[in-house]
Amino acid sequence: MTRIRPLLVSLAILLPLAPGLAAGAEALRLLAWPGYADADLVERFEQRHGVAVEVTLVGNDDVLREKLSANNGGDYDLIAANTAEIHHYIEQGLLQPLQPARIANTTRQLWRFRDYPRIPGISRDGKVYAIPYTYAEMGLIYDRTQLSEPPRSIASLWDPRFQGRVLAFNGSSHAFSLAAQAAGLDPFRIEAADFPRLTERLIALRRNVLTFYAQPEEAASLFREHRVALLFANYGRQQLKQLRDQGADVGYVIPREGALAWLDCWAISRGARNMALAEAWIDFALEPPMSRALVERQGLSNTLEEPENLEGADRLIWLRPVEDAERRARLWERILSGERPPLEETP
Amino acid sequence: MKFGIAFKLGCLLAAFGVLASGVTGYYSYSSSRNLLLKAAERDLLTATQVLGRNLRGGIDAVARDALILASVAQARRLPTQPEGALRAHAENDLAELFRAQMQAHPQYMQIRLIGAGDHGLERVRVDRDGHRLLRIDRAKLQEKSHYAYLFETLSLAPGQIRLSPIVINRELGAHSGLGKPTLHVSTPVVDAGGRVVGALVINVDLDQMFDQLKSDLPSHYQVYLSNRWGDLLIHPDHRRTFGFDQGRRLFIQDEFADVARLLEGGGETSLISRHETVDSGLVAAFVRLSVNTGNSERFIILGLAQPESHVLAETSRLGQRIVQVVLLSSLLALAIAIVASRALTHPLMSITLAVQQFARERRTRPLPIHRHDELGQLARSFAQMQEEILGQLDELNQRRDALEHLARHDPLTGLPNRRVFFERLDHALASARRSAKPLAVLFVDLDHFKELNDSLGHGVGDRVLQAVANLLRSATRESDTVARLGGDEFVILIEQLDDPQQVLAVLHKLHERFQLPMLVDRHEVQVQASMGVSLFPRDGDDIESLLQQADRAMYAAKNAGRNTYNYEAQDPR
Repeated sequence: MTRIRPLLVSLAILLPLAPGLAAGAEALRLLAWPGYADADLVERFEQRHGVAVEVTLVGNDDVLREKLSANNGGDYDLIAANTAEIHHYIEQGLLQPLQPARIANTTRQLWRFRDYPRIPGISRDGKVYAIPYTYAEMGLIYDRTQLSEPPRSIASLWDPRFQGRVLAFNGSSHAFSLAAQAAGLDPFRIEAADFPRLTERLIALRRNVLTFYAQPEEAASLFREHRVALLFANYGRQQLKQLRDQGADVGYVIPREGALAWLDCWAISRGARNMALAEAWIDFALEPPMSRALVERQGLSNTLEEPENLEGADRLIWLRPVEDAERRARLWERILSGERPPLEETP
Repeated sequence: MKFGIAFKLGCLLAAFGVLASGVTGYYSYSSSRNLLLKAAERDLLTATQVLGRNLRGGIDAVARDALILASVAQARRLPTQPEGALRAHAENDLAELFRAQMQAHPQYMQIRLIGAGDHGLERVRVDRDGHRLLRIDRAKLQEKSHYAYLFETLSLAPGQIRLSPIVINRELGAHSGLGKPTLHVSTPVVDAGGRVVGALVINVDLDQMFDQLKSDLPSHYQVYLSNRWGDLLIHPDHRRTFGFDQGRRLFIQDEFADVARLLEGGGETSLISRHETVDSGLVAAFVRLSVNTGNSERFIILGLAQPESHVLAETSRLGQRIVQVVLLSSLLALAIAIVASRALTHPLMSITLAVQQFARERRTRPLPIHRHDELGQLARSFAQMQEEILGQLDELNQRRDALEHLARHDPLTGLPNRRVFFERLDHALASARRSAKPLAVLFVDLDHFKELNDSLGHGVGDRVLQAVANLLRSATRESDTVARLGGDEFVILIEQLDDPQQVLAVLHKLHERFQLPMLVDRHEVQVQASMGVSLFPRDGDDIESLLQQADRAMYAAKNAGRNTYNYEAQDPR
């Protein structure tokens, strides 16, 4: 009996603490996209740091904005968003600056993803707010059986040789950016005076394409059924993989004008409860297992290694907010409806 | 005895009754519920198939219209005819025809003749704009070569029909058709040489078409429609339709998982599926309708759903009725249990009471001996036992009485013996002392009895003694005690004397009777007696002195020559 007593005493002291420990267990709250924090990988992080990770998935930018701003960023510790959205959140004061030096694995990243001043949207007043995580560029997919030479330029989309065999994307913003690129202009800053000629360029594109697609599956079936030669891959490598899986003999190029690309980054919310834990997550995300899962499971690119067989990875143009999204949309609707030039803009 | 057998038995019977009716009720409820659900599912499936046929009929009608209009365009050599008055005339006629068709069919939002050349420039186009039908100006006609409803139709053979995927019409300038879920029904137009030179396209407003189809359905039926990928096109919640148009795809298989089997294109063409929502479930029937063989949009999924609660409303009514029946039959079971337990325990109770009373008072009570069951048998056995016990008791009592009589009486004469006499004398003395009434003790001794016994034998002697006993009894009152003390000695106790002289009368009467001869066994026998008396309180106030005095008086009578009596007080010697 005397032997048991110390045990009982220690139990009596420890037991009341146990629930307290459980309740005090920290939770890291992520707001991310499908595929960015798969359960098996999250579990590794939880075990390593002895914390719980709550992942909230979003499907589009609008939902992400809604959720993050709901409680002034207080509901989440970390978010994953593209550079244009990060820019918006910095403007709104929903993020807090971070120090890349405290995240050891940033040294594993390719140089162009550490060259923060040159990545648009993620810095302000010399402070960095986000760490690049994954990206996809919008290259050109071409049918190797129809094109002996890979297309070098965006201008190929307008090539009359491919009339009726080109697929372009149905999206106002990208369409105008593409036209601006082809014309040698800044894709995100189109001057008012340039709009008429870019509109005409897009009408010309319309007359050259088979059609404009919206979903990757749609593009794949059109590609198959209509002997498409050239495709503007709005969904990037994901579409390349899809077409190759279908057995198409296709190639992928980054045109010499550069390819539009979105870049998703991790950023720490203003309401983050534990800065060190949030940094630990970003560090974890930059380890090979997490970053490779992006490539292997999602068909995306990571920031640690260059994608295989791709020339021109240095010609990526990170998406930025455009000068006037509404104007682009208004004009694009009319172009898409089949209006004939010239398009008079009513003020 | 806290809970009696009646209570326990009643509970058991009641529990059994309630359980039996409950179980029966439950099973009949669940099986009829299933039957009702199955019937509802069948109805739903049939309704969906009928709706599908009607939909196909509607689409076929549109296709026929398209073919007729295309043949008219071909006959007028449109759209290849060169510019000029002739062409304008033909186009006007065609526009009038379009108008007439659209007037007849409110679901037609737009009819167009589109040329294959000039990037798919529209040639003749009539739009619906509210209640008006508008012929579109030449200057406002648009190029449509990049729309699948044109470029795919142009690759068809003459007479073939193409049905487009259903989309939201985003083509600016489409008037009322703008923003509407639209089906494009198109067919190629050929020139005289059989070359495809254009297409005739009819835009059908899906909502209006379904409003017509739905008008025959019960109002609680909800319609679902999806394309071959499962994208919702018609849904009770309008916000969930055409998600792909807003960049977020909403699939029917996310609500009704089973529909995935139809989308995968297996052998099944129809199925029943369920969707659980927060407040109630939906039960739905889906059919796969082939629309465009050989095209990527080769089928659509049509479904009808109704709230499970609606189906179950019927069963809940049934359930209530069954609950009522179960409650009633349970009450009945309870009543029967009470009656049955009473019926069983009542006879048991009466047997118990009878046993208790018999044990206490040796008295019988009526028993349920006329029953033909085990209880009757028990009662009869008990009654028989009672009778046997009573019979044996009677016998015992008789024997005891006889023994007692034997112990207290002289067996020869039947008179009380010495012991009884002394008890009575003791008793009489006590009451005489209280009442102060005198009593007398009278000794009777037969004279020469020994000689008589010797001469005539003991038999005759005994007879004589019996005759004397009768004589003594007959000469005294009932209340007086005549006893035989032994041999030829008798004694008489006379109580409650009002006057001691009464004793003299008795003595005298006895003496006289002794003077008569007795006839004993044909012998005439003369028996005489000497008698002596003692009186209380004259001769003593206790038994001993009274007896001594009587004895002395008797001997005095003997000494006086026998056959006499002595009444006088004797001097104690």
